[in-house]
Amino acid sequence: MRTDLQPVKIVLVGCGAVSTLYYAPALQVLQRSGTLQVVALFDPSPESVTRLNRVFPQAICLQNLDQLSHSGAELAIIASPPRYHAEQTIRALEAGLAVLCEKPMALTVAEGRAMIATAESASRVLAVGLLRRFFPATRTIRDILAHGLLGDVMAFSFCEGSDFRWPVVSPDFFRKGGSHGGILLDIGVHVLDLMLWWWGQPDEIVYEDDAMGGIEANCRLWLRFPQGFQGEVRLSREWSLPNQYLIQGTRGWVRWEVNEADKVQIGFAGSRYRLNAELYEDDDKRPAFPRPAANFHRSFLDQLRNVVAAVRGHEPLFVSGVDGLQSLALIEHCYRHRTFMSMPWLSDREYQRAGQLNAL
Amino acid sequence: MRCEYMLRVAVLGANGFIGSRTVEMLHLGGLAEVRPVVRSVARLARLARFDLDCRIADGFDQTALSAAFRGCDVVVHAIAGDSRTIVGTLAPAYRAAQEAGVQRFIYLSTASVHGQMPAPGTDERSLLHDRQPLPYSNAKVRAERTLHRLRCQGSVELVLLRPGIVFGPRSFWVTSFVEALLSGQAYVVNDGRGICNSTYVDNLIHALYLAMKTPGIDREAFLVGDKERVTWAEFYQPFAEAFGYDLSALHSVPPYMLTWQDRLEAICTSHPVQTLLSLFPRKARRILWAALMAGKDSPPVSSPWEVPEVPVPRATLEMSLLHQCGYKLPSDKAKKRLGYEPIVSFAEGCRRTIAWLAFVGYPVVRSSSGLNGRPFPTAVQETAHD
Repeated sequence: MRTDLQPVKIVLVGCGAVSTLYYAPALQVLQRSGTLQVVALFDPSPESVTRLNRVFPQAICLQNLDQLSHSGAELAIIASPPRYHAEQTIRALEAGLAVLCEKPMALTVAEGRAMIATAESASRVLAVGLLRRFFPATRTIRDILAHGLLGDVMAFSFCEGSDFRWPVVSPDFFRKGGSHGGILLDIGVHVLDLMLWWWGQPDEIVYEDDAMGGIEANCRLWLRFPQGFQGEVRLSREWSLPNQYLIQGTRGWVRWEVNEADKVQIGFAGSRYRLNAELYEDDDKRPAFPRPAANFHRSFLDQLRNVVAAVRGHEPLFVSGVDGLQSLALIEHCYRHRTFMSMPWLSDREYQRAGQLNAL
Repeated sequence: MRCEYMLRVAVLGANGFIGSRTVEMLHLGGLAEVRPVVRSVARLARLARFDLDCRIADGFDQTALSAAFRGCDVVVHAIAGDSRTIVGTLAPAYRAAQEAGVQRFIYLSTASVHGQMPAPGTDERSLLHDRQPLPYSNAKVRAERTLHRLRCQGSVELVLLRPGIVFGPRSFWVTSFVEALLSGQAYVVNDGRGICNSTYVDNLIHALYLAMKTPGIDREAFLVGDKERVTWAEFYQPFAEAFGYDLSALHSVPPYMLTWQDRLEAICTSHPVQTLLSLFPRKARRILWAALMAGKDSPPVSSPWEVPEVPVPRATLEMSLLHQCGYKLPSDKAKKRLGYEPIVSFAEGCRRTIAWLAFVGYPVVRSSSGLNGRPFPTAVQETAHD
């Protein structure tokens, strides 16, 4: 039997919130379709492993990562807390497995480079879970920009913010020593990755955040691009912001509401109306019956399908470790050059003290 | 409790509006060694800006609270929530404070224990009752009574603060008004002539700090408010102006009127009726409920010729009562016993709050910001009509 037609065997490393909420249901769907098979699970918490073992009863539970090479797995999905990403990815690659590593791929650029070097020397696939590149909406925006449909880009404003609700279990997620960063290293990875994917590297960045000895809950970036435009990114973990990306061009604008994977809004200069567009697959064979484009969850499946196909050598990998490193490098630059956000409700004395703590 | 060393203070409900500003002020002001206590890890998002000894403990879990309070001199109870949470978290928290050797328990009560329209002459000596129109006020009255009973059984000193309309960055009073304003649903009852017993959040926390340190105030309650006497129109004015609105353009609506459907629904959802209904089989319950609610407003049938109109808002019971308040509650006792003087004027409180609204992305058009030395950059606006 041809092995390249067999389901790809998966080990899921990290059985916490992202695995429970997203990977487990997605892997179930793809297991049923014969695309992959979950053969092993690992998490230091026995309760977390037991919970996912009920979903994948045929999977064995690894006691430690030394057992990776004997697990029968071909692809490791690293969905553990970010501080373990580099170490676990490197161990999986060294054990001969391909890796899909959740974002952020690592805490530092040095870690990320070590992961890429290991993948290259082991000749194994290293993918990074930058899901938003799989959204039909973000791909459409990329096409709109590439074809110049908005004219020349003049400015942009990307805002993401809400009261933090992600069901994290470990307080380490919010400790500077445990996570190395706050919202910029969390949601910011997605935002900066899209920006870099659409426009390439900026040539000027100003960054500020509100960390006062801990990790930031709010941050803001101003970026200037060599194409001649500038814009702003504003992120918050404590307050609802208008969750939208807005790009203004000389001929019109495009707006994307965060995580609306299959919708964009477009407006044209001088027009009274705006398009509120739902996206469909462009299918030449069935032009009268187009299929709706992938929503958030189906985009998640598309990401897994692409990695599995890349492992089998059937498709090029869509988001590689090298791609993942780009936003990480930008984040590292921001943290290195951080300035303190204006917090207008603080008294002068408080603000002075806060600024000292931010500089630590 | 007057002490020279840095007080160690556990703030329970530290992620909320008042709790988080309490942590901020005490920590950045170097006033106390603060220990934020929240119910889940996710609630640490805002507090994690500081390098503090944060603890996770559910407000109903006495054992977890006791561990969280150990080593602290003072516990500040700033948990907000429904009536069950307001009353139900007190015994676990007070007993945990007792177990942990805490000296003083400060409860953030509310001036609403005197009702939303307190009678002239009301002060801390006025009798409280729990037959008020709003469940929130009744829950807070029961909370104070519960704490006094717990105090009789325990030895941890008890101090109660009763602030009025606490406003500032992250305040519901401000954001709900601004959101109503932006959606064309903002209104005033009585033309906004009623008294707004405003308390800028920093003034409340200043009183809280004084209540931590002042000796001889066990079992005392203190009304806390701003210095200025402010009407609701005056309270709303700076926020409306900041968004480019004229206050006179707000809907002026009649006071809240209880319809017969509201009364029926109140009866149907009351505890005794719900208990009685639970004795019926589910299907019978559904039929009975549908019959009772048959007269409730049904959505109007829309015609293709109809031009969509913005609905006129209807005053809620709470806002209706508040907007008709005719009495400025006194802070005299707090001044006399705690040495309380508001540290931020009403105008400055509004200015800081408006600057915060701009900070979090509300479309403020007039802000005297640039506070702390930095102007706000101009956000990109879509210009489809240009």
